[in-house]
Amino acid sequence: MKLQEYTSSKGNFEECMKCTVCTAYCPVLQVNPLYPGPKQAGPDGERLRLKDPYFFNKALKYCMNCKRCEVACPSGVHVADLIQAARIKYDTTPPKLRDQILASTDFMGSLARPFAPIVNGVTGLGITKTVLDATLKIDRHRTFPKYSGRSFEGWLKRHRKEQAAFPEQVAYFHGCYVNYNYPQLGKDLVKVMNALGIGVQLLDKEKCCGIAMITNGMSQSARKHAEHNVGVLKKAVDQGLKVVTTSSTCTFTMRDEYPSLLDVDNSAVKDSLLMATRLIYEKLEKGATLKFRADYHKKIAYHTPCHMEKMGWGIFSEKLLKMIPGVEFVMLDSACCGIAGTYGFKKENYEASQAIGAALFSQIESVNPDIVACDCETCKWQIEMSTGYPVQNPISILADALE
Amino acid sequence: MNPNEFDVIIIGGGITGAGTQRDCAMRGIRTLLIERSDIATGATGRNHGLLHSGARYAVNDPESARECIEENMILRQIASHCIDETDGLFITLPEDDLGYQQTFVDACRQAGINAEIIDPDLARRLEPSVNPDLIGAVRVPDGSVDPFRLCAANMLDAKIHGGQVRLHTEVTGFIREGDTIRGVHTRNRLTGEQADYYAPVVVNAGGIWGHHIAELAGVNVGMYPAKGALLIFAHRVNNMVINRCRKPSNADILVPGDTVCVIGTTSTRIPFEECDNVAVTPDEVTLLITEGAKLSPALESTRILRAYAGVRPLVSADDDPTGRNISRGIVCLDHESRDGLKGLITITGGKLMTYRLMAEIATDAVCRKLGIDKRCETAVTPLPGSEEKSYEAVAQKIWESPSTAQKAAAARMGTRASRIRTSDRHDEALICECEEVSVGEINAAIDRLEVTSLTDLRRRTRVGMGTCQGGFCTCRAAALLAKAHGSVEKERADIAAFLQERWKGNFPIGWGDTLREAEYTQWVYKHVLGL
Amino acid sequence: MKFDTVIIGGGLAGLTAGLSLQKAGQNTAIISTGQSALHFFSGTFESIEEPPQQMQRLFEEAGIRLHYERGVRLMPLGTFRESALSLEDIDIFPTPKIGRKALIINFMGYHDFFSSFLAEGLQKQGLECRVRFINLPELEKLQLSPSEMRSVQIARAMDRVWEKVVQEIRMLLKDEDVVVLPQVFGLQDTSVPGRIRQGVPARVVFAGTLPPSVPGIRTQMLLKKRYQLLGGSILMGDEAVKAHIYENRIHSIVTRNLDSHYLEASHFILATGGYFSKGLVSNPFQIYEPVFGLDVEYAEDRNTWYNPAFAEDQPYMGYGVKTDGKLHAVKDGQPIDNLFVVGSILGKTQPQFGSAAGLAVRSALAAVDEILRCTQNDGEESASNPLSF
Repeated sequence: MKLQEYTSSKGNFEECMKCTVCTAYCPVLQVNPLYPGPKQAGPDGERLRLKDPYFFNKALKYCMNCKRCEVACPSGVHVADLIQAARIKYDTTPPKLRDQILASTDFMGSLARPFAPIVNGVTGLGITKTVLDATLKIDRHRTFPKYSGRSFEGWLKRHRKEQAAFPEQVAYFHGCYVNYNYPQLGKDLVKVMNALGIGVQLLDKEKCCGIAMITNGMSQSARKHAEHNVGVLKKAVDQGLKVVTTSSTCTFTMRDEYPSLLDVDNSAVKDSLLMATRLIYEKLEKGATLKFRADYHKKIAYHTPCHMEKMGWGIFSEKLLKMIPGVEFVMLDSACCGIAGTYGFKKENYEASQAIGAALFSQIESVNPDIVACDCETCKWQIEMSTGYPVQNPISILADALE
Repeated sequence: MNPNEFDVIIIGGGITGAGTQRDCAMRGIRTLLIERSDIATGATGRNHGLLHSGARYAVNDPESARECIEENMILRQIASHCIDETDGLFITLPEDDLGYQQTFVDACRQAGINAEIIDPDLARRLEPSVNPDLIGAVRVPDGSVDPFRLCAANMLDAKIHGGQVRLHTEVTGFIREGDTIRGVHTRNRLTGEQADYYAPVVVNAGGIWGHHIAELAGVNVGMYPAKGALLIFAHRVNNMVINRCRKPSNADILVPGDTVCVIGTTSTRIPFEECDNVAVTPDEVTLLITEGAKLSPALESTRILRAYAGVRPLVSADDDPTGRNISRGIVCLDHESRDGLKGLITITGGKLMTYRLMAEIATDAVCRKLGIDKRCETAVTPLPGSEEKSYEAVAQKIWESPSTAQKAAAARMGTRASRIRTSDRHDEALICECEEVSVGEINAAIDRLEVTSLTDLRRRTRVGMGTCQGGFCTCRAAALLAKAHGSVEKERADIAAFLQERWKGNFPIGWGDTLREAEYTQWVYKHVLGL
Repeated sequence: MKFDTVIIGGGLAGLTAGLSLQKAGQNTAIISTGQSALHFFSGTFESIEEPPQQMQRLFEEAGIRLHYERGVRLMPLGTFRESALSLEDIDIFPTPKIGRKALIINFMGYHDFFSSFLAEGLQKQGLECRVRFINLPELEKLQLSPSEMRSVQIARAMDRVWEKVVQEIRMLLKDEDVVVLPQVFGLQDTSVPGRIRQGVPARVVFAGTLPPSVPGIRTQMLLKKRYQLLGGSILMGDEAVKAHIYENRIHSIVTRNLDSHYLEASHFILATGGYFSKGLVSNPFQIYEPVFGLDVEYAEDRNTWYNPAFAEDQPYMGYGVKTDGKLHAVKDGQPIDNLFVVGSILGKTQPQFGSAAGLAVRSALAAVDEILRCTQNDGEESASNPLSF
C-alpha cells in the first residue's frame, strides 16, 4: 500500500464530517434530553475517549442501539457501534437485577414455559405488574409476552421425520420468541418452506442470540452465547445447509454484532445465515412458485424494524408481500417504534419509548390497515399494545395467504 | 504617574515573553508586554508540544539535557493543566544501531534523566501503536505540553500580578537618548493607533523576529531562521511520546497532544523574509509521513488534519560570527555590556521546555538593572489553573456528575473551569462540538484572556482545532465575539479570515476525508450561510 | 433482483431521476448511502435561471411547492444573494431593501441562527432592526440537552406549537413590516410556514440556519415518499461496491448489504455526488470514482488541485467523471452504453447543465429522457414486473 492511499479508523469515526445528519434521525434524542446524541456519543466522544477513558459519559446507556444513525450517516460512520463498543469497554457499572432478568430471554423462557398458564396469568395480573413496576422497575403499562405451553422445538422434533422427507433442507434459527412465546410463527415458516419443497430442521441447540445482553451491559455472557451459536451454525453450514431466521434482530445480531461488538468471528457462517424472506425471494426468482388463495384480500402496511433497516433486507419482505395477489401494500415511513428490545420495558424508558413510536402509531392509524407486517417480535408487541392493530411477520402472512 | 510608563517593557508574546512578564510581575515589577500579533503565534505555538525529558539532547548537548529534565519536573508541578504526563519511548528499529542505546542511556543518566531500557514486548504493550518491528526501547519521562495554554496561563498570571498586555501591537522603533533605550514607539496593527511607552529596561523576547527588533535598536543578534514542518493527525494514535533512539534527525518524534498527535519535524534554513509566512511543501509532507510511519505504522492510514511549520530562533554564539556553531541553548544578551547600549536585554535561543528558566535568567538581568533584589518564585508557584494535580480532581470539585464537555473544560482550563460553574444552563451549549467547547468556556476566555479574533480564541480554547476545522463552530463563536465586542461587520470578515487560516493548514494535505471536509465547509459557508 | 433502472445515489439528482422513471412506468430502485446533501440545502435551486416545467410538476406532485422570481434572498449571515427558483418558504425580493423595520426572532439558547448578523445586514440596507429572543416551555426540555438544540429538534417541537410562536410575535410586534424567523418550521406539517405567514400581520421572512436544513429535509422526505408511493424501492444505508461489466454494459451491481444478491437492470444511473458524498474519492495520488472505476477528468499534479484562497473556486471541485455527449459514463476511454452519470459527480465537465441543484436536476432529466428513448426505440421489454416471476 502507498502511504495515505486510504485511511481507516475504528468504526470509521474519522470519516465523520460533523454534518449532524445522524442527530436528525436519532429517535432517543427526540425524547430524552439526557442523551448526548449520536454525534457527541459516537465519533465526537471517541476522540476524547482515545485521549483518556475518563471522558466516557455514562449517559451513553440511553442509546437504544437502533442503528438509525448509521443508516442515515452519509459518511459510513458506524456511529452506534462506536457507542456500544464504548459502553462495553468503559462502562464498569454492573447490570441491575432487572436488566439481567430482561436480558436472559432464553433462560427465563425455559423456566417459565412449563408453567405457562400460571406465568401468563401472573404476569398479566394488575397486582403483579404493580409489583414488577415497584420492585424491578419494569413498567406496569407493558404487556408481558405470553409464554406458550409447548415449545416450538418440541413441536418440530415431533415432526422431524416428515420434514426430513423433503429433498431440500434448511436449518432454522427460531430464536427465543418463537420457541417460548409464539411457536405459530415457526409453524408458519415450516408451512411456507414445505410449500416450496423444502424441509425445516433445528440447529443443534441454539442459544439466545444475545442482543439483550449486549444492550444491558452483559457482554461477557453475550460473547459466550455468540461463540456457542457460531459453533452450532457452523455445524449446519458444514452439512451444506442454509440457516434461515424469522427475526430481523436475531439475524442482525449474529451477522453484524458478533464480529463488530463481541469480536466473535462469524465469517464461516455469515453468508449462509439468511432471513427466510430473502431465501424465499431468491427461490421464487429462480423459478419456484407459490400458489395463493384467491380469496385473500388484505391491506397490509409494512413497518421496517430498525435492525432490518440497518441490514438493508426489508426489500425482500416488501417484494414478497407485494407479490401476494390480494394484498394492497403500503410502505410505512421508516421509523423506530420505540421498544428497542428490552429498552421500552424499563420503567425509566416507558414514556420515551411511547413518544418515539408516536409518529409511527399515528401513521398506522391513518393508513388503517388490516394487518401491520413486520419482521421483529418486539416491534410487534409495541405496535399491538400501542395501536391495537394486529401485527404479523411477513412469513405468517405468506402462510396465511397460501392456497 | 504616566500610564505609559513601566519598569520594564517586554517585546514578544511568545512563551519567553509571557514567562518573563510573569516572573517580573511576581517580583513586583511594573510590566508591559507588547506583541505584534497574538500570544504564541511564533515558534511557541508551532512545535510539537513535547515536554522534553532532555533525553533527545543527552548525547550531544548534555547541558540542554540537564536544563530540560529540571524544567520538566518543575512544569509538572506548576503547570499541571497544560501538561500530559505520558512518558516517552526511544525505540530502536532494525535499521538502527542497537549499540547506540547504551550510549544514549548512559548519557541520560549522566544528565539526571531516568532512562530505563525495557523489553520490546513491554514497549508494544505500553504503546500498542508503536512499530512492532522495534528491537529496542528505552522509557523516559517525556510528556506533552499545550503551548497555547501555557502561554495564556503565564500571561494571565502576569495580569493578576498587575502586568499589562498590548496584543496586535508592533514595535516600530526605539526611543533612545544617547546610548540609552528609554522606551518604544508602537503601532496597533488592528486600529493603526500609535503610542509610545517608556521603561528603563526593555526585554527583546521576539523569537526569530528578535533579530529585527535588535536591528531597530541598532545592535546585531546573529540569528538563523530554521524552518520546521509538522503534521497533525486527526486523533491520538499514540498515548506515549515515540522517538527514535539515534542521533536526532527529521520527523523522528511523534507526540500525543490533547485530542490529536503531531509528527515532526524537519529543519531547513530559510531567509528572514519568509518567517512571516512559512508554507509546508509537498516534499516535507511526504518526508513526514514516510518517517512518521516508521515510528507508528498507523500513520500510513490515519487521517491528517493539518500541516504547519514554525521557525526556530537559532542563535550563533557570539564568538563565532560565521554562524557555524549554532547552539540550541539559552542566550541572554545584555546589550549594555555587549554593545554599549543601555536598557536593552535580548533573551533568545532555548526551547519551549526551558522558557521558565529563560524567563528567570532574563528577569534576574532586569532586576540587576533596576536594582531589585527579589527571588524568583516561578518554579514553586502554580500557574492559574494548575492548583490541582489532575483534571479529574478539578471536575470532581465543580460538578456532581460532569458531562464530557465539562470534563473537557476541566482538562483545558484546570481550576479556572470553576469560572463557568455558576453560569446559566444556556452557557452549557456547545460551540465547538469536536473539542467540546461550551459557550461558558468561550465567554470566560473572552473575559480574561485578551481575545480579539476567532484565531485568538482558538489558541485559548481549542475552538476550531478539531476534526471539522471550524465547519460548525466558526460562525457560532463569531456570534459570541460579535456580541462581546459589539461589531458584527468585523466578525463577518473574521469568519472569512478564520476559514482561510484553517484552509492554509488543510490544503497541503488536501485529500481523502480532509478534502471532503473542506468541500463541505465551503458549501455551507458559501452557499448555505451566504458568506 | 431485477429492475428496469437502478439508481445509485438518493440525493436531488437520484430522486429526480427515480421519480421521473417511476412515473413513466419503470420499475426502479434507488441505493442511497445514508442521507443526502439535501440536508444542507439552502432552499434555492442554484443555477436554475428559468423554471423547468417538468421539474416543477414532479415536485408539485410530491407536495413541494416551488416559486420562481428573479431577485435576491436574505442569507443567514445577513448578506443577500441572487436567486430565482426556490422552495416556497424562501422569499425573493426585487432589492435588498426588504422593508422599513424588521423584527428578528430567535429562540433562547439557539446558536445556529445568526440574529445579530441578520440585523446588521438589514441595517446596512436601511432597515431598523430589533432582535428578540423567545422562550417556550416546549423548548425547555430541549435546552436540557444544550448541545442538541439544533434546527431539526426545534422544528419537531414547532410542528406542534407554532401557534404559540405566532402569539409571541403578535405581542412583540410594534410597527415592523418585516419579521425574520429561523427556518425551523414545517418539518412534518408542511402547512406551517404558510399558516405562520397568515397569522403574522407583517411580511414573514424565513432565514436559514446551520445544517441540518429543515426545508431540505422536508424536501427529501416528500420526494422519497412520492417515489415510494409510485412503487419505487429505496435501499437506504446501502452502498454499491462493485459492478459486473460485460462488453461495455453493466450487467449487475453488488451492494454491501445484499452481498451475493446482485441487482440487475437494463439501465443504471450513477448519482453519487461529489467528494463529501464519496461519488469522487481522492488520495495523494489520484482522484477516482470508486464503484465502477470510471474515467475521471482531473489534473495529475496534486499541487494544482487547490486554490490557496479558501473563498475562491477550487479546481478540485471542477473535476468529474468523463461522459460522452449523452451522459454515458466513460471507462478506459470507452462509453458504457447503459450507465448514465448525473449530478455533482460530473463536476464542471458538462458546463451546459450548470452547477449544484441545476446540474443535479437538468442532468437527471436528460439521462431519464435518454433512457426512455432507448427503451422505446429498442423495444426493450420492461425488465421485471415485481408481481410476477
